Amino acid sequence: MLRRVALRVVLAAVLVWGAGSLAFVLTQLAPGDASMADTTPGAVDAREALRARLGLDDPLPVRYGRWMRAVAQGSLGHSVLFERPVSDVLRERIVNTAVLAVAALLLGSLLGLPLGVHAGTHPSGLVTRVIRVAAALFVSTPSLLMALVLVLLSARTGWLPVGGMTGSAVALGLLPLILDRLAHLAVPALALALPLAAMLVQTQSQAIADLPSVRVLDGARARGVSRRAAVWRHAWPLSLGTVLPVYGVLAGSLFGGAVAVEAVTAWPGLGRLMLDAVRARDAALLAGAAMSATALLAVVTQAIDAVAAWRDPRGGVRA
Amino acid sequence: MPTTRPPRFLLTVLLIVAVAGTAVLLWRDLRPGTGSQAPAAADAPPTRGGRLVVGLRSEPRSFNRHASASAFTDAFTHLTQARLARIHRQTQALEPMLAESWTVAPDGHHFTLQLRRDVRWSDGTPFTADDVVFSVETAFDPAVKSVIASSLRVEGQPWEVRAVDTHTVALAFAAPFGPGLRLLDLLPVLPKHRLEQARRDGTFAAAWSPATPPGEVVGLGPFQLARYEPGQRVVLSRNPHYWRTAPDGAALPYLDELVLEIATDPGTELLRLQTGQLDMLQQALRAEDVATLQPQIDSRALSIIELGVSTDPDAFVFNLRPAFWKADARAPWATSRALRQAISHAVNREQMANAVFLGEAVPVWGPVTPGNTRWFSASVPRYAPDPARARELLKSVGLEQRDDDPWLEDAGGRDARLTVLTFRGNTQLERELAFVREAAAAIGVALEPVPLESGALIERMLKGEFESLFFSYSTSDLDPALTRDFWLSSGSGHLWHMAQPTPATPWEAEIDRLMARQAATTDEAERVRLFAEAQRLLAEEVPVLYFVAPRLSMGVSQRVRQLSPSVLRPHLLWAADSLAVAP
Repeated sequence: MLRRVALRVVLAAVLVWGAGSLAFVLTQLAPGDASMADTTPGAVDAREALRARLGLDDPLPVRYGRWMRAVAQGSLGHSVLFERPVSDVLRERIVNTAVLAVAALLLGSLLGLPLGVHAGTHPSGLVTRVIRVAAALFVSTPSLLMALVLVLLSARTGWLPVGGMTGSAVALGLLPLILDRLAHLAVPALALALPLAAMLVQTQSQAIADLPSVRVLDGARARGVSRRAAVWRHAWPLSLGTVLPVYGVLAGSLFGGAVAVEAVTAWPGLGRLMLDAVRARDAALLAGAAMSATALLAVVTQAIDAVAAWRDPRGGVRA
Repeated sequence: MPTTRPPRFLLTVLLIVAVAGTAVLLWRDLRPGTGSQAPAAADAPPTRGGRLVVGLRSEPRSFNRHASASAFTDAFTHLTQARLARIHRQTQALEPMLAESWTVAPDGHHFTLQLRRDVRWSDGTPFTADDVVFSVETAFDPAVKSVIASSLRVEGQPWEVRAVDTHTVALAFAAPFGPGLRLLDLLPVLPKHRLEQARRDGTFAAAWSPATPPGEVVGLGPFQLARYEPGQRVVLSRNPHYWRTAPDGAALPYLDELVLEIATDPGTELLRLQTGQLDMLQQALRAEDVATLQPQIDSRALSIIELGVSTDPDAFVFNLRPAFWKADARAPWATSRALRQAISHAVNREQMANAVFLGEAVPVWGPVTPGNTRWFSASVPRYAPDPARARELLKSVGLEQRDDDPWLEDAGGRDARLTVLTFRGNTQLERELAFVREAAAAIGVALEPVPLESGALIERMLKGEFESLFFSYSTSDLDPALTRDFWLSSGSGHLWHMAQPTPATPWEAEIDRLMARQAATTDEAERVRLFAEAQRLLAEEVPVLYFVAPRLSMGVSQRVRQLSPSVLRPHLLWAADSLAVAP
């Protein structure tokens, strides 16, 4: 088992290095460079001064070698957009994206799992039909569109802030601070959570419907357990073997969606950082962000696989 | 089979929320224009205190004007630093700032500047002539590689500067220069006591990066850096030692804080203005944005501030480099003046202003628009919409209808077809180009758009690898002597044929001569006459076509007071010390 875990870690490391290198090289090969994002077209002297300062005149292998040295040292290179070590910039943004992702996962699970259980245990009925239609609608709605709709709704109603992570005024006191953060979190978290919840509804309802429900439920009822308790305590845990692996897929789509949602809602996370890095042709920053996102995804996927294996009634770890 | 209870509670809550939301939306949309915020009297005296929140489209790259030419750094410098003299953005007149007066020697290029006394940096250190000498020397220090050095040079030479005493500075240019001390507007005065060491260590360009502790970024401007929250905002607080006062003697600035809220997506930024999260943007509104903001304008939460006609019309540039067309049989007509004049005749500028800018634009025939009141020449040749004349011109260079397709052909049977590079994602440019394309198609000329990312387009432009390009750029200055890069054949901004060793055409040689003369004289009337002649020549030869210049307007919260709007950047922040907000 240890060998299998070690192999996965090595593969993940190779994947992280590959993602970073690809991002770095492709950004360098694309027409234009970081000096052009910062100067007007005719400002040749200014651009040359910037190119010299940023080391953009060096050949690609030299720039790649410099970047790899910085990766080995842990700084991940120098961001020309922020004029800081990439690792410093990433540290702030990863936390913000993690907060958003966890909030979206929680919200999506709290909405998707109960509704999925209901739909699975009540194959017919009006409520189930409404849930299924809503799930079909949301699962096919990209997070970008969802974010745009929610931002527009917030703008029209004024109920929630339409962008940013905090208000421009410094919140005095713990409660106003928490409320301010939650208000700003609501729109991006909901934009990511609704498609995620829809996917969970579909998976969960199918998983619970596929169980040998009569035996499970009847057995529990025969022991005097209520219908609801039978479903949640006996049937639902059995269905998790199917549902948990889906979280690995969800984690991937969550990061993909975060890029668009963070851009629309001005959430200062990893996704928006990647967009800013692309616009500014900041190769080191883009590579660092790609490496971080890949690493995060690898860790989350491994964790979910481990939990799924632990929950697997057949026991043992599955690759 | 028994069933579990459906989540009726959840559904009920959702239903109530949906009904309530719909009701609120309908109520907000259908009620008459009675804004929740009653507009305060515009002429009310400014109140001291408060916070102004302004949009920011990009992350700050540097707080050091010598290291970055970005719009952010320029605006930040206006807010936190001061100049010896500045150009008043509304009158275009030069006005004293840190230099309270000056004298000019009879030779016209030696100056003695008297500095204000009792001025202190934001950290409390006294400001002296040494800071001025340091600032000038830093700008021209080859090791610094300042991005503003080339704009400051006179005849390619740095300035000479010397501190006569603590509050007197002697300044000399290499030769008499038309703009004279207007150059001082480009140079922020920097604190020697804070930056001297960095310059000595060779780390000046990296000084004052976003990672620098705010307390180290010291200035003479109305505000000082309080904090930078990456990805979110740059917060500026009042400079406690700011030296300017209002006409009534009140200490400036009025504001306690000025917050630059980062929203890189223009749509999100506009929504934040709509919802009151922002008080103003730094960019002018597009015509369609005004319609979007109409509910807020009706309810008087926002007002639209007219800035005037933009000084930056979008440009349709033709590649006139002989080297590019050397192996191309289309060269005779593709580089001909007749083709360019024909396209100019094909485009109805009034209709373009109406169709693309919803009427909020004026026709132009050259790079200097009516927005540049000091230098605009109304007597340049104009090209009235005239498709028949356009076809005559095309015929004069051998382009005629020779087959059944809609395009004209040359004698070799090649279609009259050009590719046009343009910025990807700039919807306004795309609409303009679509209009021009349609007009050109009507006279048998095919224009094929090739949208590119801005970096890619600029790279192609600098290498001269394009047939034509349709794009927008910001004029660095309104004074022609400071935009000679565009006009001179040797200039790096001479878009149609850059950096020529000697002028390739007689008309370019003539423009070179006119521009050199107008830059070398300090006679204002003569400068205007010479520059009008250069504009006339350019409009005759049309290496670049200009069609319309938009009227700029900005959406501003009704709580903002004491605005001094200008068509020049930064449109509303150039005089931030006198901005105020309603309590």
